[in-house]
Amino acid sequence: MTPLLKDRRLIVSALVFLLFLGIPAVVHDTFALRMCTEAFMWIGLAVTLDVMAGYTGYLNFGHQAFFGIGAYATAILMMKAHWPFPLALAAGGALAAVAALIIGIPTLRLRGSYFAIAVWALARAIQQFALIAAWTGGPDGMRLTAFLDPQFFFYVMLGIVGATFFALWFLLERAPFGLKLKAIREDQESAKALGLNPTHLKIQAFILSAIPTALIGGVFAYWVTFIDPGSTLGDLISDQAIVMLVFGGMGTLIGPVIGAVLIFSFKTLFWAYLSQYEVLYIIILGAVIAASVVFMPDGVLGKFMRKGLRRAARPESAPPAAAAGKEA
Amino acid sequence: MELLPQALVDGIMLGAIYIAIAIAFSLVFGVLHVIDFAVGEWIMLGAFAGFYLNLWGKVDPFLMLPIVFIVFFGLGYLLQPVIQRVLSGHKGNPLLMALVFTFGLGMIFRGTAQTFFGFYSHSIPSHFSNGSFYFEKGSFFLTISSVRLAGLVYSGVITLILNYLLRYTDFGLAVRALAQNKEAAGLMGVNNRRTNKVLYALYTGITAMTGVLIGVIISVNTKMGAEYSIFAFFVVVLAGMGYLAGVPAAALLLGIIQSVFLVYLDPGWTLLAVFGILYLILVVSPTGLFGKGWV
Amino acid sequence: MAEPILRVDSVSKIFGGLTAVNDVSFEMQAGEILGLIGPNGAGKTTLFNVVSGYYAPSHGKVFFKGKDVSGKPPYALAALGVGRTFQVVKPFGGLSVLENIIIASFLKHPRRAHAEEAAWGVLEFTGLADRAHIPAASLTLAGRKRLEIGKALALEPSFLLLDEVVAGLNPTETDRTIELILKLKSLGMTILIVEHIMRVIMSISDRLLVLNFGQMIAQGSPAEVAGDPSVIQAYLGEEHE
Repeated sequence: MTPLLKDRRLIVSALVFLLFLGIPAVVHDTFALRMCTEAFMWIGLAVTLDVMAGYTGYLNFGHQAFFGIGAYATAILMMKAHWPFPLALAAGGALAAVAALIIGIPTLRLRGSYFAIAVWALARAIQQFALIAAWTGGPDGMRLTAFLDPQFFFYVMLGIVGATFFALWFLLERAPFGLKLKAIREDQESAKALGLNPTHLKIQAFILSAIPTALIGGVFAYWVTFIDPGSTLGDLISDQAIVMLVFGGMGTLIGPVIGAVLIFSFKTLFWAYLSQYEVLYIIILGAVIAASVVFMPDGVLGKFMRKGLRRAARPESAPPAAAAGKEA
Repeated sequence: MELLPQALVDGIMLGAIYIAIAIAFSLVFGVLHVIDFAVGEWIMLGAFAGFYLNLWGKVDPFLMLPIVFIVFFGLGYLLQPVIQRVLSGHKGNPLLMALVFTFGLGMIFRGTAQTFFGFYSHSIPSHFSNGSFYFEKGSFFLTISSVRLAGLVYSGVITLILNYLLRYTDFGLAVRALAQNKEAAGLMGVNNRRTNKVLYALYTGITAMTGVLIGVIISVNTKMGAEYSIFAFFVVVLAGMGYLAGVPAAALLLGIIQSVFLVYLDPGWTLLAVFGILYLILVVSPTGLFGKGWV
Repeated sequence: MAEPILRVDSVSKIFGGLTAVNDVSFEMQAGEILGLIGPNGAGKTTLFNVVSGYYAPSHGKVFFKGKDVSGKPPYALAALGVGRTFQVVKPFGGLSVLENIIIASFLKHPRRAHAEEAAWGVLEFTGLADRAHIPAASLTLAGRKRLEIGKALALEPSFLLLDEVVAGLNPTETDRTIELILKLKSLGMTILIVEHIMRVIMSISDRLLVLNFGQMIAQGSPAEVAGDPSVIQAYLGEEHE
């Protein structure tokens, strides 16, 4: 296993994170800060999606359910129960973990493609529920007390997404958990013979992907001060995250970051200059993901950055006896 | 309680539509092992095709079904090789990638439709639209709208034709062979590629025709796709993944459950109740109602 | 006499109308190699799957080291010390050869560093160390069969189930695999092996067990079994069909 300090991808990621931390010191334009905050949000959504899709092989078409649960939980607890923001946020995360357990137990026994449609349908059910239940504000949504501080939300979003990224990096790239998930992804039956319990592992991964997503949703709710079933529980959230993930490269944690940044930049430019062609955006997203699947199944990361990152990623381990003799 | 017979009849009518949606979908899944995420969008496109053909041609939509079938058969035939290419990929999980591809396809269809057709809801007028049959026997009465009856007939015809095709033609034999064992079928002289193309094209043709029907019976709008995709998935999961014979029963059951719930609940809660039942079924029996699906 | 390491007690496995395994009973002592032979379709792999936890027996029980393990899932059996290979090899194609082994090593070495060390040991033992970092999917068939055995060994089992590990290999590769199996035996491993290639199974087995149509028709030393008329008949068929 590459020693921590020699893990080039990790070092680069850490440096980029530090760079991001410094942005508010030089950039004071609130619009720019808000753009960055949203970019971080999408990075978070794509990365958490990767946990299930890339590492475990189960694409969660209902990812927005966790986002929405976090958003609504935070909103309801803050507005109706007057909880402070951090507590409400944490509660949203806990709720999403429970939801992941309940949803995961029956659906993760199924194969990947069935899981995809099952959670897609269940996520719509949750959206439907938010639309008709009284205490979620129904189709009119909910308002939160306005707290307008772009810097605060910049740091909170960056903090949560950053913490998520590094936590996932450790769990999936360095700890045994990630390798075990990949084994399940590659061949479940074979993995069973090696002592792995696929259902347990899949559910753990599912919960792991749910909690940060809910936290991000909670921050989103407080940040934009208004949520409704369309904006927080709608298809478009996971649709875009999926495109970002597939386009960027699944199963790498870095791929989704790249995909999120690229697609989000495109989206921002698109809305800035071509907003009269709004329906075109969906067509383009669809075309991007369809083309990615056909022409670059490993995403941008796989296609263009393979050489550079392969070198960085090559395991620097050798047979213990030979290690003294050869040095990477 | 007096509403129950009507609800049952409505349920059967609704179930008939579900059969039409699900049967070709289940066939493609059973043979090609692809879940077409865009199934609802094919329905939507078919419905719009029917709407505009009717608008410009002034012909009854039921007479235009063959045209719609041919056009979408052609589209599916041309599209299938791309899907096949994804399915033969060696990276990761080809089936999942195919699902993602159809997901992207669905988005393209939806976006294109929204670009050209806007967001309004339409209905396709037909000679059957205003008629209905009315039965009465004491305190027991039933209303059956003609279009829905036509829908039932349509579903029956499609099911019978597919059944005939699968059982009594060479093509059907090839399909069944493929479903059981791809390699062996190929070795036995089945032209896999062409059979796959024709199969997928049949699916898109039938599904688009069903879209026209839905446009007549219910409505047409560019956002309808998702709802029908969900029902297609429901029926196929209930029937058992890949178990074609289970589709008619599962579809009728779903239609009846939904109609009966509608008697007692608001439409919004009805949908949730149906979801709830689906969830329970998945928990108890992932292989579907008859236990013959693949897990 | 010592407690048998494996006891299969009147096990049957029925699929719908087909009885794949019919009332099979046998025991294995620690350290012996039992060869399981029989014509195609005799039920050998089904029996394997029952013993390794992939199927629960329809009737009967399986005891491992005295414990009733009937119907326990494969991962439970792995934890108890049972390792198996698959007839159709199942490598984790997208992962490297080393990673394949490491995953198995996690069972006894939960921490990555130790698991990796143990994995290198297995790679050396199976002769795969020079191919450690290539994707498992690019191994030759012989390499994959080696990897299959390696993964099972990395579990540090006391009991190994080998399912046709030399099928498809050329004579040199076959000999090397036989060497490997005998080396394992000398280290005290108990092995249940299914194999079609007679010279292999006859030369390494202490005892043989013959299945036909799911039933056990003979059990004994290779010489005894080879001379058994019912065995000969099973393989060569009836005179009039």
